[in-house]
Amino acid sequence: MRGSVFGKLLGTAALLIVLFTVLFPIYWMAASSVKVPREIIARRVTLVPQSFTTQHYEKLLSASNFPTYTVNSLIVSLSTMVISVTLAVLAGYGVYQTKFFGSQTFLRAMLVAYAFPTVLLIVPLYFVLSALRLVDTYYALIIVNVTLTAPFAVWLLQAFFRSVPQDIVDAALVDGAGQLFVLWRIVLPLIAPGIAAISIFCFVTSWTEYLFASILINSDALRTLPPGLAGIIGQYQIDWGLLMAGAVAVTLPVVIIFALFGRSFVSGLTQGAVKV
Amino acid sequence: MSRKVAILFLSFALAVTLLGFSAQPTRAVLSLTMWHMEQPPHRVKRVQELLDEWNAANPDIQIKQEVQNWGEIYTKAPLAAKAGGLPDIMFGIPDFTTVLLGTDAVKPVTNLVKELDAKHKFVPAAVEPYSYNGEIWAVPLYGMVHSLWYNKEMFAKAGLEAPKTWADLLAAAEKLHDPENGVYGIGLPANKQLYTDQVLYNIMLTAGASELFNEDGTIAFDNPATVKAFEMYKALWQFSPPDSVSWTWGEAEAALASGTVPMIFQFTVITTWEQQSGMPADMLGVTAIPVSAEGMEGAIYYSNAALLTTGDPERQAAAAKFLSWLLEPKNYGRFLNMEPGLFLPVTADGATAESFWNDPLTIKYRSQVETMVENTKNGALFGFTKGRVFQAIGAISAQNLLSASLQRMLIDGLSPADAVKWGQEQMTAATR
Amino acid sequence: MRVVTLSGQLAAPLPRRRPSLGYLLVAPLVLWLLLTVIVPLIGAIGLSMQDMRIIGTPSNYVGLENYGRIIGDSAFWSAAGRSVVWVIGNALLQTALGFVVALLLNQRLRLARFARTWILLSWVIPTAVLVIIWRWMLSSAGGGLINALLLEARLIRLPISFFGSAESAMLTLIVINSWRWFPLTALFVLAGLQAIPEELYEAAKVDGASVLQRFRFITLPSLQPVLASLGLIGFLWSVNVFDVIWLLTQGGPSDGTTTLPVFIYNAAFKQYRLSEAAAASVVFGVLLLVCAALFLRFIGSPERER
Repeated sequence: MRGSVFGKLLGTAALLIVLFTVLFPIYWMAASSVKVPREIIARRVTLVPQSFTTQHYEKLLSASNFPTYTVNSLIVSLSTMVISVTLAVLAGYGVYQTKFFGSQTFLRAMLVAYAFPTVLLIVPLYFVLSALRLVDTYYALIIVNVTLTAPFAVWLLQAFFRSVPQDIVDAALVDGAGQLFVLWRIVLPLIAPGIAAISIFCFVTSWTEYLFASILINSDALRTLPPGLAGIIGQYQIDWGLLMAGAVAVTLPVVIIFALFGRSFVSGLTQGAVKV
Repeated sequence: MSRKVAILFLSFALAVTLLGFSAQPTRAVLSLTMWHMEQPPHRVKRVQELLDEWNAANPDIQIKQEVQNWGEIYTKAPLAAKAGGLPDIMFGIPDFTTVLLGTDAVKPVTNLVKELDAKHKFVPAAVEPYSYNGEIWAVPLYGMVHSLWYNKEMFAKAGLEAPKTWADLLAAAEKLHDPENGVYGIGLPANKQLYTDQVLYNIMLTAGASELFNEDGTIAFDNPATVKAFEMYKALWQFSPPDSVSWTWGEAEAALASGTVPMIFQFTVITTWEQQSGMPADMLGVTAIPVSAEGMEGAIYYSNAALLTTGDPERQAAAAKFLSWLLEPKNYGRFLNMEPGLFLPVTADGATAESFWNDPLTIKYRSQVETMVENTKNGALFGFTKGRVFQAIGAISAQNLLSASLQRMLIDGLSPADAVKWGQEQMTAATR
Repeated sequence: MRVVTLSGQLAAPLPRRRPSLGYLLVAPLVLWLLLTVIVPLIGAIGLSMQDMRIIGTPSNYVGLENYGRIIGDSAFWSAAGRSVVWVIGNALLQTALGFVVALLLNQRLRLARFARTWILLSWVIPTAVLVIIWRWMLSSAGGGLINALLLEARLIRLPISFFGSAESAMLTLIVINSWRWFPLTALFVLAGLQAIPEELYEAAKVDGASVLQRFRFITLPSLQPVLASLGLIGFLWSVNVFDVIWLLTQGGPSDGTTTLPVFIYNAAFKQYRLSEAAAASVVFGVLLLVCAALFLRFIGSPERER
C-alpha cells in the first residue's frame, strides 16, 4: 500500500487516536498515582498532575507485601509458561509427526476446554486439589493456569508445526537422528516465533488470573499480585492513591516483559494466525 | 529470539531452585492460624504487632494470621470447611456466621462470652446477632456503625443545623442541591451492593421497620413502615448525583470530601477527611441517623466477631486465651486502632480505655468518635434482631435483596409499595 | 526464518510413522486436562444431581430434578438472552474496531510498527486494574474524569450515569470489554491482511476493480479462515467473561447485566443453590458446544484451508 503525503498524515493521525484510546486510561492511572490525595478526588480534574508525591508508593512498599506478591506471581507465571509450552510443543509435535488416528478431533477437543464456565469448575477442582494436598501451594495455581493456557497454546502452535517442511524432518530421521533430537535441533528453531507467542500468552494469562489465585491461596506469603492488589482496598474505604500505585506496580512487570518480547509476540501471533 | 527464551527458562529454573516451593511449618508448639478479612496493609501490620507481642509472651501458643478477602471468603471458607482446611480462629460478621454454621465447622462459645461479659461488659447490640439456637456463636471484637456525616462549612453557609429528623434531612438536601454548579443535596447509592443495603436499612430502622422476620421465620418485610422508608429514600434520591447509582463507600467518601455532596451515610470518613478535602477536622460534622416523626433511633451496626473453627479442645482453649488477652483494655484499644475512627469498642471498659482514646487520629477527632460510640447503642443489623435469626438470612444478605428491591423502585419505576412487595416475594423464596 | 540444511537424500523412502509415538507425546497434555477439566466436570455433573445448597453441607441424590427446574426457570433464559446480546455486541464492536485498526496498522509507517506492539497494552493489564481504572474514570464523584471533561466542554449539563440503567450498563460493559480485546482482534486481522499476496490486488487493479470491490472479492475471502478461527475462540472467551461484569455491576442494575456466567455464580454462591448452579453450568456448557459445532459447520473449520 502506498499513499500520498496526505494519506500518510491521515493514517498517522488515525493511528494516534487509536493509541490514545488504548494508552490514555493507563496514563491516567500512572498520573493519578503520583498526585496528592486531594488532587486525585478533586472535582476539577487535572490531566497533568499539579502535585507530585511518592507517598503512595512509599506506603505500598513499606506497609504491604508487594515485593513478595511480585516474586510469587513471577514464580507462578514462569512455571506455567514453561510447563504449558513444553506440553504444547510435545503434543503439537506428536500430532505433526504421526497424524495418529483422532488427531484432528484431539485438536478440536482442545478448545472445548474453554466451553465450560470456570466459575463452577472451581468447586470440584478445589476438592481434587485439596485431596492431593495442593491447596495453598504454588502448585495449585500452576496446575490451574496450565489448564487455562495449554489448549490455546496447542491450537496456535500446531499452525506453526504445519509450516515445517516435512522433507527436512524426514531427511534428518532417515539420517538416523532421534525424534527428540529432530524436535530440538530442527523443528524448534523453525517454530521459534510460535513459541515466543504462546510463551507470552501463557505468561500474561497467569499474571492476570484472579479468581483461582484468591480461592486456592490462603497465606500471604504465597499470594500473587491480583488478589494482593484487591487486598489493599479496604471493604469500607478506598485509598485511591495507594490503589493506583498498586495498579501501576502490578502492571509494570508485564509492561517490561512486553517491551522486551512484545515484538516477538506480535510477529509470532500474526504468523500463527495466518496459518490456523 | 530463541536465546532470549532460553535465558528466561534458565533464570526461571534458578529462581525455583533458590526460592524453593512452599515450606511446611514445623509443629513444635501449639501453632494456631487465624483468618481475618482486614486487608488494608496498616491493619495487617497492627494485627501482626499484637501477634508478635503475644507470641513473645506465650512461647507455647504461637499464632499466625492469614489475611483473606471479603469478596471470596463466602466461597472459600465453606470449601475449606469441607476439605478440612479451616484455620482455628476466624473473624466474621453475623451473616457469614450463619453460612459457616451450615457446615458444622463453628463451635459455640457461650461460656467464654459470658465469662468475658462479666469482666468487660459487652454492648448488647454486639452480642445479640450471634445469640440464637440457644447458644452464642462468636466472641464480639469490634463494632462499626453508620452515622450521617456532613460538611459543616456547607451547612453553615446555608444557615443549616445538623439534621435531627427526616424533615430536617429532606429540607437540607433540597436547600443545598445545586446541580448547575455540580453540587447535589445528598449522596445515596442505588446499586445492588452491600453499601446500598446499609443505607436503606438506616432509613428502615428510623422508620420503625427493623424486623425482616416474624417470630416463626416468615418474612415481615412487606409492612407500612418499610414502604414509608422506601418513599423517604425516593424523596431523597432526587437530590443525589445521577451516577451515585454505582457508588460504594469509597466514592461516597470522595464525593463528600470533594464537596460534590454535603452529606452521606457512612461508617467513617475520618481517616481520609483532611487529606482528601483539605479541610480541618472541626469542619467534619457527624450526627445520628435522622429519625422519622413516629420512628425510633437506629443505625446499621456490624458486630465483628471471632469464631472458633477448630474441634480440638486444646486448641479451642488456646484460642480462647488469646481472645481474652485481646479484649484486655491495655491491648484492646491498640487492636481497635488498627483502623482508628472506624472500629469501635464492643465492651464497656473498652469504651473508656486509655489505649483506645490515645491514638493521634482519635485525639484529633475525639468529638466525632464520641458521637460514633454513642450511636452504637442504637445499632442493629437486618435479619439479626430480637434473636429472630434464620438460615434464610444468608441468602437474603448475599443476594442484596434489600437493595435489589430498592432498584425495582428507583431504576425500574415500581411504586414503593410494589417494590416492597417484590422484595417480600424474593425473600420468601429464599426461605424455601 | 532459518532453513536448516542437511545432507539428506530426499529420494530415500519416508520413515514409518509410529502412532504410538504420537500418543506418547500427546499423553501428558491429555492426562493433565483429564485431571483438571474432565474430573472436575464429572464432579460438577455429580453435584448437579444432588440438592446441595451451601458448599460442603449434607445433600441427597435428586436425579434430574435440578435440570427440570433450570430449564423451566425464566431467569435462566433471560440470562441466556443477555449472553447473546453480550456476545453479539462484543463481536460486532471488536470486529469493526479490529478491521479498521488492522488496516491502519498495515500502513508502512514507523508509527504503525510501534503501535503494533503497544496497542496490546490494554490486553496485558490485569482485570482488577482495568476495573479500577474504568470505574474511577466513569464516576462523577470527585476525580471522575470523563464526566468532568464532558461537563467542562459543556457537552452535557448533568453527569452521565453509565451504570444507571440496564441498557447503558450493558453498553458500557461491552465497550470496556471490547477496549480490552480489540487490539488482539486487530492483530489477528492484520496477520490475515499481510498474508494476502500483493499481486492479487495488482491484478484486480489492472482489471479495473474499485477499492470496494477489491475489499469484497479479495480481502474478505482471504480473511475468512482467520476470521473463522478468531470467531470461534472469541466466542468461547467472550461468552465466559465473568470478572469484568461482576466487578463493575454485579449483574445489575435490576439484573440488566446478568449474563449466564453471572447467573451461575449468583445461584451458586449468593443464593446458595449450588446444585442448581451446577445443573445450569452443564446446560450452559452443552449450549456452547452446540453453538461451537454449528459455527464450525457453517462458518468454517479452522483446519479446512490446507
